[in-house]
Amino acid sequence: MVRFFLIIVISLNLTAQTPSPMLQKNCIECHIKQKIPSELIYRRYLMRYSTHKAIKKTLLEYLKAPSKENSIMPKQFFLKFPQKEALDMNETVLEESIDAYLDYFDVRRRFVSF
Amino acid sequence: MLQSEKRSLFRFLGIYLSSTFLLFFLATVIFYDFQKHQIIDTQNRGLSQEAERLTEALRGLNRTFTPSLVYPKERHFDSAIYNLDREYIFGSFNPKTIFWDREYYQQGEMLFYIHALHPYYLGASHLVIARMIDQEPIDNLLNMSIVFLFVAGIFFTVLGLFLGRLFIAPMKESIENMNRFIEDTTHEFNTPISTILTNIELLDTLYECEGKQEMKRIEIASKTLSRLYEDLSYLKLNHNYHREIEALDISQLIYERIEYFNTLIEAKQLDLTLNIKKDIVLDMDRNDAIRMIDNLLSNAIKYNKKEGILNITLTKNRLSILDSGVGIKKEDIELIHGRFKRANMSEGGFGIGLDIVNQVVERYGFRFHIISIYTKNTEVIIEW
Repeated sequence: MVRFFLIIVISLNLTAQTPSPMLQKNCIECHIKQKIPSELIYRRYLMRYSTHKAIKKTLLEYLKAPSKENSIMPKQFFLKFPQKEALDMNETVLEESIDAYLDYFDVRRRFVSF
Repeated sequence: MLQSEKRSLFRFLGIYLSSTFLLFFLATVIFYDFQKHQIIDTQNRGLSQEAERLTEALRGLNRTFTPSLVYPKERHFDSAIYNLDREYIFGSFNPKTIFWDREYYQQGEMLFYIHALHPYYLGASHLVIARMIDQEPIDNLLNMSIVFLFVAGIFFTVLGLFLGRLFIAPMKESIENMNRFIEDTTHEFNTPISTILTNIELLDTLYECEGKQEMKRIEIASKTLSRLYEDLSYLKLNHNYHREIEALDISQLIYERIEYFNTLIEAKQLDLTLNIKKDIVLDMDRNDAIRMIDNLLSNAIKYNKKEGILNITLTKNRLSILDSGVGIKKEDIELIHGRFKRANMSEGGFGIGLDIVNQVVERYGFRFHIISIYTKNTEVIIEW
C-alpha cells in the first residue's frame, strides 16, 4: 500500500514537470499534432546510442539534414508519415532545444526503487 | 624395543608420515581449491541467470512510458545499470570500483558479474550484478577436507606403524642374533679369564716364581680380556640394564681403578701424578662410572709412551686425564666426535671404549672435551 502510494506521489511529481517553452514550441507542439510521441523517439535513440552525448550528435545531424537514412525511425514509418523537413534554426538554438529535450525525457530521473 | 629399533622406527615413521601428509595435504588443498572454484562457478551461473531475468525486466520497462520507472530489484542480488560511457544510470547499489575488463570477479565477500546489454534498453549498455558469496557450501567443503585429512592421517599412521615394524623386523633379528652371540661368547670368556686371574694371584702369593715378568704379562693380557668382557657385557646389558643411582664417591672409585690398572702402569713405567680432590660425590650408577673411568684410563695407558707421564686430576666439577702419548691430529679430534656420533647411531659399529664413554657422558648430561697436541700429549676432560 505504501509502495503504491509512493509510486503515485512520484508519478504526480514527475508529471508536474513541464517542458521548457523553447522545447514546447520547437518540438513537442508539432509532435503532439502529428501524434508522434517524443518520448518514444527518445527511447529509440537511447536504445541505439545509449548516451546523451551520442544521441545529441546524431540528432543534431538529423535535424540539420533529415533523411530516411539518418532517421531513427524504421523505413515503414515513412509510409505513413512524411519525411521531416530541415529545421530553420541556428545551431545554438538547435543544440539548446536538443539539450532541453534530452533533459526533459531523461530516464535517470524517472527511475525509482522500492 | 631397543633404542636403535625405536630410533629407526621413528625415523621411518617421520619420513613416511611427513611425506604422506605433505602429499595428502597438497592433494587436499588442490581438491579444496578446485571444488571451491566449482562452487563459485555455480554461484556465478546464478548471477548470469539473474542478469537474464533483469534484462527481460529492463526490456519491459523500456516499453513503459509511465512517469516513473520502478527499477527491478531482487532480495539476494544487487544490480546497477551503466551507459556506454560507463556512467551510472540507476541501480540498487553503486559500487566504487568496477573491473570493466572482467566478466566475473570477486571483490571481498562479493561476487560480481558484468552483463553486456544489446540493444541498450533505457540506455543501459552494461548491467552489473553482485551478490554475497554463499559461504555455507564452502565451509562444508572445508570441514569435509579437514575430516578427510584427519581420517587419512589416522589411517596412514596405523599403516606406517605396521610397515615400520615390518621394516625393522630384519634389523631386530640381526641385533638379537648379535646380542645372543655376544652373550654366549662373553659367558664362555668369563670362566677362563676368572680362572687365569685367580690362579695368577695364587701363584704370586703362594709361590716364589722365577718368571715374574712373564706372569705380569699374563696378568695384563688377562685383565685386558677381562675389561673387554666387561665392556661387551655393558653394551649388551645397557639396553635393559637397571641402574642403581647412588651418591658415588668418585675420588675413592678413581683410586680403586688406578689400583686395578697398576700392573699396566708399572709395565709401561709411567710417571703417575694424582691430583685428586677428596670426597667428590656424583649421583651415578657404579657400573657406569667404572666403565667410563676404565676406558679413559685404558686409552691413556694404551696410547702412552713407555716411561711417559699420566696425570689424573679430579676437582669438584671435572675429571682430567692427561697422557704423554701419541696425541691426536686436530682434524682427527673432530673425526673422533664424528665417530662417536656414528658409533652411537649405528650401535657399536666402531670403537667400543669411546662409545661407552660417550654413552655414559650423554646419559648423565656431562660434557666431554679432548685437547691434544699431536705426538706430544692428549688431555681428556669430563665436566659435570
